[in-house]
Amino acid sequence: MKAYHGRILKVDLTTGKSSVKTFDEKYVRSYLGGQGFAVELVYHGTPEGTDALAPESVLAMAGGLFAGFPVPTGGKTAFAAKSPQTGTLAESIMGGVIGAELRHAGYDALEIVGRAEKPSYLFINDDTVEVEDASELWGKSTRDVPKMLKKDLGWDVKVACIGVAGERLVRFACIDCEERQAGRAGLGAVMGSKNLKAIAIRGAKDLEPADPGALLEIALRYQKIMEDAPSFKEDTVYGTGEFLGWINKEKGVFPTRNWQQGVFEEREEIDPYHWATRYVSKNKACFSCTKPCGKLFEVKDGEFAGVAIDGLEYETLYSLGGACGNRSIEAAAKGNEICDVLGMDTISAGVTIGFAMELVQRGIVTEQEAGMKLTFDNAEEAMPRMLELMGRREGFGDVLADGVRCAAERIGKGAGRYAIHTKGMEPPAYDVRGMKGHGLAYMTSTRGACHLRAGFYAPELVGKFWRWEGIDRQSPEGKGAMVATMEDFMCVYDSVGLCKFSRGFFLIEKLCEVIEATTGLEFTEDELLRIGERIHNMKGHFNHREGVTRKDWLLPVRIREEPIPEGPSKGSLITNEQMNSMLDDYMRARGWTDDGEPKAEKLRELGIS
Amino acid sequence: MPKMLVPYPDKCTGCRFCEMACSLFHEGKINHADARLQVHKGDVKTDFPVVCTNCVACGEECCVNACPTEAISVVDGIVKVDEDECTACGECVEACPFGVMRMEETAFKCDLCGGDPTCVKFCPMGAIKYEEPNEAQYNVVKKLLEGV
Repeated sequence: MKAYHGRILKVDLTTGKSSVKTFDEKYVRSYLGGQGFAVELVYHGTPEGTDALAPESVLAMAGGLFAGFPVPTGGKTAFAAKSPQTGTLAESIMGGVIGAELRHAGYDALEIVGRAEKPSYLFINDDTVEVEDASELWGKSTRDVPKMLKKDLGWDVKVACIGVAGERLVRFACIDCEERQAGRAGLGAVMGSKNLKAIAIRGAKDLEPADPGALLEIALRYQKIMEDAPSFKEDTVYGTGEFLGWINKEKGVFPTRNWQQGVFEEREEIDPYHWATRYVSKNKACFSCTKPCGKLFEVKDGEFAGVAIDGLEYETLYSLGGACGNRSIEAAAKGNEICDVLGMDTISAGVTIGFAMELVQRGIVTEQEAGMKLTFDNAEEAMPRMLELMGRREGFGDVLADGVRCAAERIGKGAGRYAIHTKGMEPPAYDVRGMKGHGLAYMTSTRGACHLRAGFYAPELVGKFWRWEGIDRQSPEGKGAMVATMEDFMCVYDSVGLCKFSRGFFLIEKLCEVIEATTGLEFTEDELLRIGERIHNMKGHFNHREGVTRKDWLLPVRIREEPIPEGPSKGSLITNEQMNSMLDDYMRARGWTDDGEPKAEKLRELGIS
Repeated sequence: MPKMLVPYPDKCTGCRFCEMACSLFHEGKINHADARLQVHKGDVKTDFPVVCTNCVACGEECCVNACPTEAISVVDGIVKVDEDECTACGECVEACPFGVMRMEETAFKCDLCGGDPTCVKFCPMGAIKYEEPNEAQYNVVKKLLEGV
């Protein structure tokens, strides 16, 4: 078996000691790499009932199978831990180089347990692994930390770190590496709880593919296929927000003002067709991506002069745009920069602000309590200010720093009705009232409301994908089995380390030859999907064990009771009956109980113990 | 002016695909230290490919003159290291003002893949081109290399 070192590094921050455990081909055939490895380490390493922020909680990181090899868009890194936001086993994927660098240092995965006595960083320099003092780094931003570490350790060191939000245990704090984030599920807070400010890695070891010639040929072939596709121009000119106008006006499922509307009438400025030509000076890419959707966005003058970010992505245009009624692209860029610098997930942060704005609108929270005019029509001013407070846990920002579910509990007075989430996770930018299967996917996602665990928005919006045609986004029929299959598909994607924007190019059956050229191992399409199913079931089993059951999966009341008021999806909602029938279908397709627990025979079948 | 690898920093996205492809093409394995070119990532605003090419930056053939065993020669405008003659003494690495001559078991540097550079093929953004530079581009390369 080529490509792997067969080694997992385990570091105990409490003792400062590290050790290496080895694995063989069977482990690869069970989990592939990336998310698969990270999920396995958390599943078997975190004891039942452990608080996500306790020292015993395992934080795992692994580069995908392709990370470090020239596979177009295949350089992703997976982090995983029990999430402080959802209490579930959550993985978060980033395009930073850190997982590939870990492999160059000689390890296919990293398992971190314990809690350092004082602020520390982990330095992995090939075979030398040290837990070092980070008192000078504590309190510093995600942009300063890599600079300071590289100055000390050398320019070729790669750094993943947390910002102030992670230190202060903001429940949706992210992990940053080279302006790319493992954004969702609050894994930055897990690092913070361990007093772990940064992971610095330098690797000088070779990565050897099974067939270098074949791999180069495959890489060039797929690069050309991607380059010739229409999406190449969309990605490289407008980024992921290219279809914002279409989703908003043609489909009417762009959640606006905390999901009170499905169309953002004032969207003109936040649409990339407006800003790409005005503010973007160059393209930015994740590690190993030849189809860059990132943009260097710079504000040259005015109130927000000096803002420079790698963004804005579609999700952020929603969360810091429509979701809080903000029509100013410069304010959204400023908000994005604050989130990046302090280390927060833009989706959860923005949705939480939109939620608070609705509470002010309804008189549940006063402007005095909020400490500012926290209203939809004042978003341009209030949103960036509130983000600063949230990231530092100051003032009313401290309440919002726990996300909508916890904030609603703390505020009371019926605030829960306006908290839009599943399993405690704020949802991404698709109003699922007009996309039934995607609504199911928000519920079944193991890390709470997510567009990427099944990626089901694409099949429903386009009407076809892979094995399916004629998909009706408004119908709940047959969605259970389809969502389950897509979740398995995506688990494979996160395990080989491919970007999900490549899923139209590398369908599962096409991955087999790439995996063989890289590792020398032969897989069939069914075997790969089976691995995806195994990974998903491990997460499902963990989550049910931790007490996250069907009651926590359910869609927010608004989705079930308040139809979209206007636009192409006017009148849409997901009724209780539709919700429950889709869930029942899904559980049946999965071989799980109605309560969301994988049955013993299913676990046995997948070899999960 | 001879053709050389001309970087276009404003087109570089920082993906490092060129480094991986270079290393894999030349060595059959991936190690960023084996890559004949490096992508430098600074802060959010800066990524650029640093291209090692044919002594164009210094024009003095410093490495050729420094080599005590005459292992380095210029063939058709491409600097070549004869691995059999190289004793890995490191004189050429010392002599190169731009750090493009490197050392593993023997000295090595970019050989333009025999006229069809792999890095160029693998950059869909056009951040590296194999072409005759104009004077401004020539100066950009020089400045980039001096800055490393």
